[in-house]
Amino acid sequence: MTTTAIRSTAALSASLTLLAGLVACSSAPSTAGDSGSGGQVTITVGDRPSSADPTNRAQFDKKVADFQQANPDIKLNPVETIWDATTFQAQAAGGQLPDVLSVPFTEPQGMIARKQVADLTKALKDDGLLAELNPNVLKIGQDQAGNVYAIPTAAYSIGLIYNRELFTKAGLDPDKPPATWDEVRADAKQIAAKTGQAGYGQMTTTNTGGWMFTTQTYAFGGTVENAEGTKATFDDAPSRAALQALHDMKWVDKSMGQAVLYDYDGIQKAFAAGKIGMYMGAPDMYRSVVVTNGLKPASFGVGPLPQQGGDHGTLTGGSVQIVSKTTTDAEKAAAIKWIKFANLNKYVTQDAAVTSAKNGVAAKQPVGVPGLPVIAADKYATYQSWIKPYVNVPLDNFAPYTKVAAEQKIIPEPPVKAQEVYAALDPVVQTVLGNAKADIPALLTKAAATVNAKLGR
Amino acid sequence: MVFALPVLLVFLLFSWGPIVKGLVMSLQQTNLVDPVKWVGLENFRYVLADPAVGQATVNTVWFTLLALLFGFPLPVLLAMFLSELRGRSWAYTTLAYLPVITPPVVAILLWRFFYDPSPNGMFNGILGVFGLGPFPWLDSPHSAMPSIVLEATWAGAGNAVIIYLAALTSVRTDLYEAAELDGAGIVRRVWHVMLPHLRGVLLLMLLLQVIGTMQLFTEPLLFTGGGPQNSTLTILLLIYNYAFVNGDYGAATALSVLLAVALAVLSAGFQLATRRWSTE
Repeated sequence: MTTTAIRSTAALSASLTLLAGLVACSSAPSTAGDSGSGGQVTITVGDRPSSADPTNRAQFDKKVADFQQANPDIKLNPVETIWDATTFQAQAAGGQLPDVLSVPFTEPQGMIARKQVADLTKALKDDGLLAELNPNVLKIGQDQAGNVYAIPTAAYSIGLIYNRELFTKAGLDPDKPPATWDEVRADAKQIAAKTGQAGYGQMTTTNTGGWMFTTQTYAFGGTVENAEGTKATFDDAPSRAALQALHDMKWVDKSMGQAVLYDYDGIQKAFAAGKIGMYMGAPDMYRSVVVTNGLKPASFGVGPLPQQGGDHGTLTGGSVQIVSKTTTDAEKAAAIKWIKFANLNKYVTQDAAVTSAKNGVAAKQPVGVPGLPVIAADKYATYQSWIKPYVNVPLDNFAPYTKVAAEQKIIPEPPVKAQEVYAALDPVVQTVLGNAKADIPALLTKAAATVNAKLGR
Repeated sequence: MVFALPVLLVFLLFSWGPIVKGLVMSLQQTNLVDPVKWVGLENFRYVLADPAVGQATVNTVWFTLLALLFGFPLPVLLAMFLSELRGRSWAYTTLAYLPVITPPVVAILLWRFFYDPSPNGMFNGILGVFGLGPFPWLDSPHSAMPSIVLEATWAGAGNAVIIYLAALTSVRTDLYEAAELDGAGIVRRVWHVMLPHLRGVLLLMLLLQVIGTMQLFTEPLLFTGGGPQNSTLTILLLIYNYAFVNGDYGAATALSVLLAVALAVLSAGFQLATRRWSTE
């Protein structure tokens, strides 16, 4: 699940897309551009920021213009389509997807199975890009035979985001975020007692409840699905312990405040407003918390995902770029050129790295937020040395995370129907946080039955 | 007949076409990309076995009952009150109608802010002055649905008020005068003059409200996403989740067909039961 794509407000556009999708079903149009005989190729590219986000939109449009100048035989047709859990299936089914689109790590495997995306293996080899990508992360977009259907362009692993100011006020050391869930519990209690704010918060709605439950289960040493993705595996001790920890923070320590229904946007707003001490999230949430919602950069802290009973690892996610199945070979090659230009060039050429960093600084966007490398490790280190002079985020505040994240084991999201599984787990987390007498084992058994029915379908 | 043909064709294509297509899809398994697979009644079996469907049905009926209890009488009373006001009534009518003009999404975002469960939330802050609360509003499975009903009533009452007012203006004024001459107070005027005139409209509005509330969607989607603990998961929200979150169009159309059949049976039964009374 990408950390930028889940928005409750996106539901507003959902009903429109619902209509558009249904109308489009009957006619099955192709969004592929025409590749004229004169060598001119036109492709539609998604993810253009909306007019409500003028800075990023201008930056995106400039990128498009620069690309077209450098590649006069390729014409780009940028559209505002973005991935959204609630509309994506309709758009895919209705043939409404652009030729190039960014989707989260949860999607490629399902799309490969449903034959909804183009095979990029040959085009990637021809381009030479294949050799530069981080092979571990590339697996997200490959089928069993090793063919590549999706190109990873951003990756993260979940950590613990915390408010350094609240930590200080509560008498805690802001440079030492909790490393275990027992410590999370103790710190949350202290924050709630000393500051009156919720010590810990957790996302619970629009599939984020299941997403975070999965993360927490991993941290307690459990899994959510078996490796084949045929069976639910969360009806066991680690998941029960994870939920018990939440239950105790909410009902025994009373350190989680009143609000139960947080979605992706909601929790960032509440955190930026100083109402939450800690929550699970990826370092790239810096942008939405600080730039969009106005938290002081100095107050933003991020540590590694706290573990319990051993070092189990953390959940990874990110974005891949997919290409429409209806594209021709020429369009595929153009699409890869664009994906590289827009997302990956900065990692491999110094000019692009510096330009991108400078543009980011000029647009007051965060530059240098740590994440997982999508390209080979040595190249990533070189990239970081290029942009060093332009980094405008307080790297020291990320230090607790980066120190551990480089070594920490990363675990992918559930391999099959991740979004459906997450949706089935939302009510489990909501029940634990909404009902002091929630029967945790029974909740998990019931949810496992629901998930098994979905996996078997 | 020749002139009616284009209209008829358009009607068939755009109105009945999707209905038939929906019926067909409920018997198929499809992602709208690969070739369709006929599965017979398998989708219906799957849907009927899904515990979420039972929960959604209970929630939907619960919402309909609450909406009838609170949402139905309020506009009737408001309309009667407004029709009794001579002179400035247009101003009050405008006030009553204002929420209808507010786009639902805006209204819901506003009410979400009102419903902030912390003690310094908007409603909780006001109630706190009187020593009440704080109430969890949307964050508790017990109060989430009533909270949605409250907002929906606020948002929808204006429409009904206008319709009732229109019906009331058709009441001949000499009936009121005669009633007043006979010494009838407000209560008896309402009972003997207004209500009999509203009867036809009331029955129609009742049916429309039942059908409308059975299709509740926007509010739970934007307020709670169906939570907490599925307590606001409605049938339409579930259909939406099947189709657009899970990409399971077979299950979505199967459940839609079931809902449509239930509503058709309900409407027919309602018409039969009230035929005599409404035309009396």
